[in-house]
Amino acid sequence: MFFFTIRRLLASVLVLLVSSFLVFALCAASFDPLERYYTQNPRPPESFFNNLRETLGLNDNFFVRYWRWLSGVLTGDFGETINGTPVVDQLFPRMLVTGRMIIGAIVIAVLLAIIVGVIGAVRQYKASDYTFTFIAYILIALPTFWFAALLKEYVAGGVNDLFGQQVLYTLGEETPGLSLYASGWELWSDRLGHLVLPTISLAALSFAAWSRFQRAAMLDVLGSDYIRLARAKGLTYRRTVVKHGLRNALIPLTTVVALGIGTLFGGAVITETVFVWHGMGEYLISNGIRQEDINVVLGWLLVSAVFIVVFNLVADLLYAVLDPRIRLS
Amino acid sequence: MKLSKRTSMLIATGLTGAMALSACGGGSEDGDGGEASGGSGRVVFGESTDFPENLYPNIAAGNATSVANVLIKVLPSAYQVQPDFTVEFNSDLFTGEPALEEVDGQQVNTYEINPDAVWSDGTPITVEDFEFTWRANRSGDPADGGCPAVLSTTGYELIASVEPGEDEKTVVVTYETPFADWQGSFENLLPAHLMDADDPAAVCETITEGWPIAEGLPEGISGGPWQVSNIDAGAQVIVLEPNPEWWGDGPELEQLIIQNIGNDPTTAVQGLQSGELDVIYPQPQLDLVEQIQALEPNVESEINFGLTFEHLDLNTQDPHLADPLVRQALAYALDRQEIVDQTVGQFSSDAQVLNNRIWLNTQPEYEDTAPEQVKSQNVEEARALLEQAGYTAGPDGLYTHPERGPLDIQIDTTENNPLRQTTIEVMIPQLAEAGINASFNANPDIFAGAEAPTSLEGGGFQAALFAWVGNPFITSSQSIYQTPQGDNIQQNYSRIGNPEIDALFAELATEPDRERQAELGNQIDGLLWEQMATIPLYQKPTFIAHQANVEGVQDNPTEAGPLWNSETWTIE
Repeated sequence: MFFFTIRRLLASVLVLLVSSFLVFALCAASFDPLERYYTQNPRPPESFFNNLRETLGLNDNFFVRYWRWLSGVLTGDFGETINGTPVVDQLFPRMLVTGRMIIGAIVIAVLLAIIVGVIGAVRQYKASDYTFTFIAYILIALPTFWFAALLKEYVAGGVNDLFGQQVLYTLGEETPGLSLYASGWELWSDRLGHLVLPTISLAALSFAAWSRFQRAAMLDVLGSDYIRLARAKGLTYRRTVVKHGLRNALIPLTTVVALGIGTLFGGAVITETVFVWHGMGEYLISNGIRQEDINVVLGWLLVSAVFIVVFNLVADLLYAVLDPRIRLS
Repeated sequence: MKLSKRTSMLIATGLTGAMALSACGGGSEDGDGGEASGGSGRVVFGESTDFPENLYPNIAAGNATSVANVLIKVLPSAYQVQPDFTVEFNSDLFTGEPALEEVDGQQVNTYEINPDAVWSDGTPITVEDFEFTWRANRSGDPADGGCPAVLSTTGYELIASVEPGEDEKTVVVTYETPFADWQGSFENLLPAHLMDADDPAAVCETITEGWPIAEGLPEGISGGPWQVSNIDAGAQVIVLEPNPEWWGDGPELEQLIIQNIGNDPTTAVQGLQSGELDVIYPQPQLDLVEQIQALEPNVESEINFGLTFEHLDLNTQDPHLADPLVRQALAYALDRQEIVDQTVGQFSSDAQVLNNRIWLNTQPEYEDTAPEQVKSQNVEEARALLEQAGYTAGPDGLYTHPERGPLDIQIDTTENNPLRQTTIEVMIPQLAEAGINASFNANPDIFAGAEAPTSLEGGGFQAALFAWVGNPFITSSQSIYQTPQGDNIQQNYSRIGNPEIDALFAELATEPDRERQAELGNQIDGLLWEQMATIPLYQKPTFIAHQANVEGVQDNPTEAGPLWNSETWTIE
């Protein structure tokens, strides 16, 4: 398992290198950070443009620029944004922001997906199965931004009206400026109130698709010979389902969830935008792509690619834990 | 069924638990009176433009609307643009209206600084701050003691000296050549005692570094009613608190919190609805305006027409559009009233067709200088002009020229801009009536540099729809209409000019008198109509909405923005 891990990590370094080079090439070809100044009125003097080109290194050869970025990254320096802020200063705090938003949602979504998936399979074509299937498809079909808007309008509005005060919040991680004059329980409960809606939104949408995977895998397993054998040996139905069925049926879900987590760390872009969480996804869209900032895009790429690689690895390792027949060598 | 019951109970318990937890939280918070709308004097402004990375306004990194909003009542300015587009001197900073004189053929302005005026660290505001502000913006050339990071040297480059008068509180500014927009100079006065150095290179270093957002303003300096007290770059929140050394009236609030909410309009509306935001200033969109109006009377809102105006630029290097008759025909074929009705007219019945490029409808200097034929659609005259230019109509009614080929005009504009797309979609059938085959093209490179061939700079376009951000000052239009000198087109993307217009602009740029400026501007615009290389369309609306219990909020549709009078805001 150890050598497997090492080999996988080495391979992923190569993947990261190639993808960063490709993205760098694409960005260098299409980004023009000077763009917004051409139509600025009055137009900045030529010295301004020359200076900006020089400071951003735009006059240099493409390979020189890539090498400069790459050698910086190796020493932990992700470069500066076009406005002169070190990218690392934003990248890591934002990772925590995104992390805070998605961790609860993932835990809830996975638990719900397993429970709902198993019930759906065990009680196939019963009323409960139809109900959950119906709900899952509705959630899968709902666009995130719309679902979030509904949550804000009806859930937040309804709950706040019910309590007669602000309980659930629709914007940001905390009431702006609250940390300046509040601490302890007041601050944390405020943050919790801000966390509820994004968590529900992300959890509901992820769980819906995952529960379908779990149901399908479970159905597959329940129909197999070793389950019949287990029953024939006299094990209780519940024990058969949980011990022999569920454990095997978790493998496909592991893959999907691992990939899902990796992607979500790169940014639940829409959820972040709608709920105004200044996380990774927002960083890519508004600071990276909209500002035509190559270092931001690459910094984002690197971090989210690392997450995807790591969670893929975790998934592979989990296979071995779940199914002892799988040997990683 | 056993399992499912248990599950649903689990979910229900979890959710109610979370809600109950946060409910307690909400309670304790209200107990402290911490809520913005609770009347404790805290107002949250939802900023919809990008969060700044640097607060120094005169370099690229700090050149943002969000920075201007933070600084407007932090760093003093000599003049402030009023909501009615007039310019008024800063009566807190000066004891009287600054004097404008001509001495030995040179323009001299004298400013009398209020004796009480001090920076927030107690240092008096004196002529030194004016002198430093001039020096910090004077030149982009290091050999000349300037700094290449400086974004704009307009006006400052024309100043010969900034000297004390009778004492340190009198500022005498002498211009080498008269400068029309002298009132726009000394915007955002800089604290000399915190930034100045003997060596110009050291000053340049200070300027280039600016005021990174992580550090904020140097020593949290302020010369206005508000002071930046706290910046949370992670949560994108900037907190303003009253400047203890402020010598004027206000502020009436304990805190003004600027929270960045991004440009999603639904977010802004729901934030206002839920009471988390008190004031918003989003880009107006039709459904957004309707949603806000549905929240009355708890929320008040206002639509105005600002300094940004949309216009159509015709590239005179295009074989068709090089012909003045074709440009005229195109202008005659447009029904601009219908364009306005279908676009900005939907927001407000006050929307008007813009018939001037130098002064906008809502400015006091505005005059309708347009020729009669462009005031309504004149298809017949347009067709006659095209035939006069040698075009012949095909069986489908569309014109073709024996040498230039079919009269196909592609109108370029920015991507993902519904308002501009609608504008062009309304134009296309209008132009088709006159036999001009127009088409819509969202051009991602439109504002790119000259190395992108289809950009405005590159010149590989036929017609382009985009906006200029006007200002009450006048010299900024010069670079748009000045005759190109070889490859140096400045911002004259239609690439045409004439000596008469150039001469009038030269006169305008050195004319400090406002009435004469108005006259010259209108005269220039009359000539621009003859040239017909740009067709003005309409001013863009601005939209402010706020909780009804925040009193004193008033839109300033100019670059002064929504926080221009924030020191007078009160909360009921």
